[in-house]
Amino acid sequence: MTIGLDEVLHVAKLAELAVKESEFRRLVEQMNRIVDYVAQLNQVPSAGAVEPFLAGPRSVALREDVEGAMPLARPSAAMAPEFADGFFLVPRHGAMEDQ
Amino acid sequence: MTAGTAGKRVSGAATARETGARLTQTAPLNAVLHWSQELLDAEGARVDAMTSPGPLAGMPVALKDNIVTVEQPTTCASRILEGYVSPYNATVVSRLRAAGAMIAAKTNLDEFAMGSSTEHSAFGRVKHPLDPTRVPGGSSGGSAALVAAGVVPAALGSETGGSVRQPASFCGVVGVKPSYGRVSRYGLVAFGSSLDCVSVFGRTVEDAARVLSTISGPDPLDATTVDRAPMRVPKALPDLRGLTIGLPKEYFPADLERGVAAALRRTTQQIEELGGKIRQVSLPNSTYAVPTYYIIAPAEAAANLARYDGVRYGKRRIGAEGDIRSLYRTTRGEGFGEEVRRRILVGTYVLSAGYYDAYYKKAQEVRALIADDFRRVFDSGIDLLLTPTTPTPAFKAGEKTEDPVAMYLADVFVCSMSLAGLPAMSLPVGRSEGLPVGAQLVAPHFGEERLLAAAQALERTLDPLAEVR
Repeated sequence: MTIGLDEVLHVAKLAELAVKESEFRRLVEQMNRIVDYVAQLNQVPSAGAVEPFLAGPRSVALREDVEGAMPLARPSAAMAPEFADGFFLVPRHGAMEDQ
Repeated sequence: MTAGTAGKRVSGAATARETGARLTQTAPLNAVLHWSQELLDAEGARVDAMTSPGPLAGMPVALKDNIVTVEQPTTCASRILEGYVSPYNATVVSRLRAAGAMIAAKTNLDEFAMGSSTEHSAFGRVKHPLDPTRVPGGSSGGSAALVAAGVVPAALGSETGGSVRQPASFCGVVGVKPSYGRVSRYGLVAFGSSLDCVSVFGRTVEDAARVLSTISGPDPLDATTVDRAPMRVPKALPDLRGLTIGLPKEYFPADLERGVAAALRRTTQQIEELGGKIRQVSLPNSTYAVPTYYIIAPAEAAANLARYDGVRYGKRRIGAEGDIRSLYRTTRGEGFGEEVRRRILVGTYVLSAGYYDAYYKKAQEVRALIADDFRRVFDSGIDLLLTPTTPTPAFKAGEKTEDPVAMYLADVFVCSMSLAGLPAMSLPVGRSEGLPVGAQLVAPHFGEERLLAAAQALERTLDPLAEVR
């Protein structure tokens, strides 16, 4: 086993992902299966200073650094369940209920 | 079904009714997540009212449900996005509609396009149109199944590591992945941003080419699109004289399924009969394509899917602790399915301190070597490459769901081209025990026109229904 439960839970915390106790065993097994499999890349001799790979051609076009509104198909108010004074109205968060 | 194919003007209203009837008939495939006759009729009326019919006038086209639309929800087959409706249309949707195409339906997929069988959908698996006990491939299995079942002549899917070519091969239809940068990703829900490509299914090479030509070209809303003219629909080649086709030995292992091997032999003979030259070549680092892909894609996915936190999109679940971190974790833990959670964890692991160099950096190095192999082979006078699309025909549902690595290996022949950003396609070239087999053709960057022209020449002369085992 390359990865233990503690490590899986640590990674889950980093990823902001709740994991149920009933899933622990299966998750550890499958994470190990995957990580052991991808570790075969260690067999590839180090290529030294390899140029970073760009998926497309060398010169990727960049757009101007100019702010601009993204075109929306409908006005914001039409998409909101509730909208008032230029704001979306959303349900109160549970943690705020006591305040 | 002839609506909108071969460039003929047809009634949008009639096509809407016919397409609706076919969608109803094929509902048991579970290939569709959203459609309504009302929206289809509106699409038909819009097309009928167009004063100058576009090149796709009256063609019904289905969209994978990770391509955003204003009129219908976009769920990515995930509970976390259930009911989400985008405030804007993807560029590819706007271009299809401007060309006269009718958006017919949003199709089922593996959740967030992560999978090779369309079994990892929160809304149930898609069934293979020829054998419901089998999978249609994935992750764009719904789109592939709809084209194969004759519901639409073309559909859009998305590729991150073969998610259109592999289901095209399983379902016996044409599947084309363009060069990275050829088609705008604006409005395609991000999975692996350095790999994602909107891609096309067609009943024929011509249908796929017409759709790809329509959606290709630079887009100011996607800075990774390349400043080149849109792809043209290629003129049919009478033969393959003057073309040299490479067969990379790493893609023809001894244990290749018998029917797949026979179909590829038949395709090779046909290329020679059409005047093409065959040459053996080698792409040694392709052996490492699957492990490289399954480091890079989950790493990019872990970053891209961080936005689904219960605050900005979709479902929200407040955790037991009632604080914001608990909200994030509970929403994500309950909203994402098993495969997506697994990939987020693997992606986070390979990017975490202590493992970044060993996994992620190494994978980036190998990715460069894989791409370099392709460059070297194309620079040596090879015009196109020919490989099997998949090692076997469509497998049984449930056959690979317990072993993630076995599922990943279904993409063994397709993910290297995604890593290298190359255009590639699957063409149906025969049947093995009644199941379709696809041959894959690969071209250098932006070589789509030659790729499609050569495929058309083969399509004319190879019977895709012929048993080849």
